[in-house]
Amino acid sequence: MIDWGDFLIVAVVTLVSATVVVSLYAFGLRMLVTAGRPPHVGPAEFTDAITVISPAEAALEAKRARKAAKKNPLTPSQKRAALLTAYLCFALCASAVLYGIYLIVPALHR
Amino acid sequence: MDLTLIVVLVIALALFFDFTNGFHDTANAMATPIATGAMKPKVAVGLAAVLNLVGAFLSTAVATTISSGLIREGNGGVQISPTMIFAGLVGAVIWNMVTWLFGLPSSSSHALFGGLIGAAIVGAGFASVNYSVLLSKVVIPAVIAPVIAGFVAYAATRIVYAITRRYDGRPDGRDGFRHGQIFSSSLVALAHGTNDAQKTMGVITLVLISGGFLAGGSDVPFWVIVACAFAIALGTYTGGWRIIHTLGKGLTDVKPAQGFAAETSTAAAILASTHLGFALSTTQVASGSVIGSGLGRRGSRVRWKTARRIAMGWLLTLPASALVGALAAWVAHLGPVGVLLDTVLGAGVIAMIFIVSSRRRVTSASMAAGVAGMSEVAQSGRAVKIKKPKQPKQPKKPRKPKKSQKPKKPGKLQDLKKATKPKTTTKGKKPKNSMSAELDPVQPPTKDKKKSSA
Repeated sequence: MIDWGDFLIVAVVTLVSATVVVSLYAFGLRMLVTAGRPPHVGPAEFTDAITVISPAEAALEAKRARKAAKKNPLTPSQKRAALLTAYLCFALCASAVLYGIYLIVPALHR
Repeated sequence: MDLTLIVVLVIALALFFDFTNGFHDTANAMATPIATGAMKPKVAVGLAAVLNLVGAFLSTAVATTISSGLIREGNGGVQISPTMIFAGLVGAVIWNMVTWLFGLPSSSSHALFGGLIGAAIVGAGFASVNYSVLLSKVVIPAVIAPVIAGFVAYAATRIVYAITRRYDGRPDGRDGFRHGQIFSSSLVALAHGTNDAQKTMGVITLVLISGGFLAGGSDVPFWVIVACAFAIALGTYTGGWRIIHTLGKGLTDVKPAQGFAAETSTAAAILASTHLGFALSTTQVASGSVIGSGLGRRGSRVRWKTARRIAMGWLLTLPASALVGALAAWVAHLGPVGVLLDTVLGAGVIAMIFIVSSRRRVTSASMAAGVAGMSEVAQSGRAVKIKKPKQPKQPKKPRKPKKSQKPKKPGKLQDLKKATKPKTTTKGKKPKNSMSAELDPVQPPTKDKKKSSA
């Protein structure tokens, strides 16, 4: 019959895995910013109401952001540590996603 | 009626169902990355199509989900005939087309279950349906799936914003979620391919077995896998723009961080449930996630009216497709003439839906058409520079706008002007493009607002 335990397990597993992946990625971004390398990803197409810009202007914006990020109280080694942490976070996040793919392909684990 | 002919008919119809399934469900994976501009619409649906294709080949273990226990078959139960499956498929396809016309993200699997149930009831009476299985495997998951996904997406969105929030006004790096979205939505598309192409493979194999072309209990033939994979990929690439529009724009205004959180929650929910043995509907999980992420970001709001319409669509899916399936089964019982009549009527209805839909086309281009009059700006393909009124430090350079691709509509621009407060003025020479010239001074500083608001 209806197995409420299964639903509970699914809910918990979903919550935990989604929050872990999302936290890792967000923390990675945060560390990138801390390291003085904020990612600058413009929208690929203007689906939203208003957006910046021609490529030249986008480059200008990115340059300005980099400049702003350079005013950074951290020492070079601290920045390097932050960058390493960022990459570590992204790597962990990627491996979590790969594990997800591993789970949906039965040929890999059966 | 010739058995071979009906088997061929069923296979053709099943492949068409697979196609509608593809374009119905493109939205689940790709609505949010398209809405946030993480990918161009055509690129996004192309990626989804490829991943669906790959996904269909990755796993062939399921195929049992179709009617497993839902309809009492075998000893002491009913014999599922190709005619019955044919009628069920007619119901599923027609209901999929109707919901697409209204831009409603409804579950394709529910449509298929509904159609088969309706056909089984007409063919073998009410006792042929196992109602407790229906309740525990279809109805209750349908209620729970969006709730779980919505709650998880809400939590994920809160976390994402909390982690990346900055109070000093320096860049917060949230742009980077656009990159993340490409991966998270790809994962959803892949999961969808492994799930949904299976169902059609299951149906075709079932028909081949019931028609005596395959031995009972044999595997899915390779040509069936190939045909299903390509049907669903083709459908996905066609792109159900109406539904993408509803899911990406209609429920809430999705920002990259929200989109990433929503897709990750969708993927996690689908993977967790599939792995633990019962499949939640991809569509319902995705819709729940979008709503949850809309609730999670400060200052965003959820359009509950659209949500109610979607929920109504879900409620109706099972009974409506069952009704169509039952009708089709009833007609099909007239014999060969009935099946022929079904085919002609079904084709007629589908053609009519296409004709009605072409009156108000929703294409990849109109995805740019967002809310209210803003769409004109977006559609022009020309970006508009936003200036912050209270920052005199910013250099005020004249821009060299490219020529806009579409003629501008002065009427809408007037509305835009009224809607926003003209505070700044542009200096420098007047750009050639009158659109950006007019819009520059009046646009609110969205880009800057985004950073401070969330």
